[in-house]
Amino acid sequence: MNFELTDDQELFRQTARRYLAKLTPMGPTPIGSEGPFVIDREAWRAAAELGWTAMFAPESAGGGSLSGRPVSDLAIIAEEFGRQLGVGPLIPVNIAIRALAGDPQRHGSTLSELVSGTTLATWAVAESAERWSPDSVTLRATPVGTEIELTGTKRYVESALDADIFVVVARTGSGLTQVVVPASVGGVRTTRSKSLDLRREFGTVTLDHVRVPLTSTVGALGDAQPAVQQLFHIASVLQCAESVGVIDRMFEMTRQYMDDRVAFGRPLAAFQVLKHRAADLLMSLESAKAITDAAIAALDSGSAEAPALADAAQSYVSDLAPSFVQECLQIHGGIGYTWEHQLHLFLRRATVNRMLLGSPEQRRQALETRFRGWAPEGSLAHA
Amino acid sequence: MPESNIENVEQFRDRARRWITENLAPVRPDASESLDLTRARDLQAMIFDAGFAGIAMPREYGGAGLTLDHQAAWAQETRGREVPDILYVSIGVLGVTLLEHGAPDFVAEHLPRILRGQEVWLQMLSEPSGGSDMAAVTTRAVRAERGWVLNGAKIWTSLADRADWGMCLARSDRNRSKHGGLSMFAIPLAAPGVTITPIIGLDGGPAHFFQEFLDDVAVPANHLVGGENDGWRVARDLLKSERNAITGVGHGLGLRQSSVGESTNLVAQPFAASTTHADPVLDDAVVQNWVNETVRVELGKRISTGMRVGAIDGSWGSVLKLSLAAEGIRSAEVKLRAAGIDAVIWDSEDPAIPPPALSWLTSRRYSIAGGTNEIQRNIISERILKMPRERAIDNRGLAPEAVGEKPLQGNSRQPDDGRPASKGKGRS
Repeated sequence: MNFELTDDQELFRQTARRYLAKLTPMGPTPIGSEGPFVIDREAWRAAAELGWTAMFAPESAGGGSLSGRPVSDLAIIAEEFGRQLGVGPLIPVNIAIRALAGDPQRHGSTLSELVSGTTLATWAVAESAERWSPDSVTLRATPVGTEIELTGTKRYVESALDADIFVVVARTGSGLTQVVVPASVGGVRTTRSKSLDLRREFGTVTLDHVRVPLTSTVGALGDAQPAVQQLFHIASVLQCAESVGVIDRMFEMTRQYMDDRVAFGRPLAAFQVLKHRAADLLMSLESAKAITDAAIAALDSGSAEAPALADAAQSYVSDLAPSFVQECLQIHGGIGYTWEHQLHLFLRRATVNRMLLGSPEQRRQALETRFRGWAPEGSLAHA
Repeated sequence: MPESNIENVEQFRDRARRWITENLAPVRPDASESLDLTRARDLQAMIFDAGFAGIAMPREYGGAGLTLDHQAAWAQETRGREVPDILYVSIGVLGVTLLEHGAPDFVAEHLPRILRGQEVWLQMLSEPSGGSDMAAVTTRAVRAERGWVLNGAKIWTSLADRADWGMCLARSDRNRSKHGGLSMFAIPLAAPGVTITPIIGLDGGPAHFFQEFLDDVAVPANHLVGGENDGWRVARDLLKSERNAITGVGHGLGLRQSSVGESTNLVAQPFAASTTHADPVLDDAVVQNWVNETVRVELGKRISTGMRVGAIDGSWGSVLKLSLAAEGIRSAEVKLRAAGIDAVIWDSEDPAIPPPALSWLTSRRYSIAGGTNEIQRNIISERILKMPRERAIDNRGLAPEAVGEKPLQGNSRQPDDGRPASKGKGRS
């Protein structure tokens, strides 16, 4: 989305765009297609071959970043995902890979399977709607001999029904531990949630005295807080990139519609009131691209400003995207209000993204806490 | 110019940094005003003599003969240092326009002086009767024996009480179309027949804007900037440079301390550390304001980069200008709300309006100056988004050539255009 993509990145983008267009054509959605939504494994493996799972993985697991700036590389796909309302666990799988890449000795073979696309993973972190932060994690992980036992519930878990493994964020003592839990292990129960986004599915994962080997943990027990904070920020900016893709596509469609649709003897594009609204849309679209790119660059460079920029990006983009699509709907008029038109699908994704990983209000609270120097030790807002 | 023959950017940056460290003082934390003009002229002369003025302008006109990438490096290195930013209009707007359109001999005579701060220039475009309809120029230029004679009135000029030269748009042929009968003239403000009067703004403070009356002002033929009756094209380019100078992109990079083009740090935090929670709703608005300001800084970087790499053209300055104006109003409102009643009723002998109230009172400055928000939206929709131009009944039926339009923006089928207005430079 920025003006300085490398040639490799540009090629990567074009390949992803072509593949997504083939994978998820934008035809009318049949009524009653509200799920269950099952991920096409074959299609995901093909996507993995295009490099969608490679960026955060070590070379030993078949991974590697295109440009040396892995968040930037992956954001290219995330944006294309938004433009085409892509299906598949792009962000959850890559966050899981990023988590496991912190402990490649233990999780090398899992990483390889994730990179090749044969295994699906998702990140299980949230427990309540109110707070998306490491502080609110209560799911317990307790070492018992050579095993670790987990009990608790994770909610809003993307692709929970399709995932083969969960990377579960759990509390051990006062610290956090990330644990790899296979979906097939005894005591794991997954229930399907309903989602406004018709092309994505979420679930609730309940762990009832689930026991896995101690070697299933990522890194040392209780040490995961900084990693989890970092993962939150990365997931946030990737989601911003996806939402930017959503509104970028919406803007294109709306601009085209304004040329095509004639009323009172002239195209919509000739009415000044609509021209001015298009100008405002362009301004906010460019702003969203700018802050998202800034947060991505800061994360890739390890800048101290990265947490604040990531929160700023999520606050701005998450607030903007749903209302942006609503404005596009208004310009489309009646046709935009129909089930048959694809516009509502974009509205749905933008709206779910507004809430997922923490609302804009929560991000601003995190910023305020940061500004006031009220940072509780290790809180998400202060990564 | 051949890229291989010029100093590379990083070498330039090192050289610039060394010079800046030794010669430009750090900005005082309490400094809110631009430097005094006399001081600014001295400082600009130092910068010129050291070879850092007009960095991307040709050497034969007093520039450094480098590129906008060098200019960007200069902008980054001067952050936090005192720069003669009161001259940004003279250099970044009028200097650039002169370079683009002036006759070579005239440019060679005046541009080095502009770059050295010896001559301060301003623009004389808007008229009392015109508002946003800037091409509705009524100031007349009539041919005389050795040049032209100008009569009329101009308004919303900044610094007119202290500047030396003005670039004045006048109607040179009343038999041609609205846009096709205009010419741009350089006039010395000390010329006989020029009367300058201040306009007191709504804050009641010292005048930032002026009005000029031109009574039989004689101008030599070589003071024509651009071709005869080609003044509209010059004015359009001037306005583009103005937007770039206000928002700190293109040649405008680094001319102003507040330039958003290349800042590297986050916007200052809105709260003092560990202050108490006053009002959660207001607190959220204050943080949102911080987010919006941060977003605008990043938008400035994005557009600046896009222009530098050639991905977008100069009309994109309007996107940033609109953002700056809209953001300024929103920000002033939140800061006033946060300051509360003490900003509007105060117990003090000091008659000065408290800053939050003053900012609010004057917050419409950038949404009017340099082309209103509405004009910026016209520019964005017509030139960037290629939407049909507004119809103007005073121009119907004229061919594009007649309105001085070059089809450079693609969609110039319709002859009319709501051109941007200039409302002075809006610097206070």
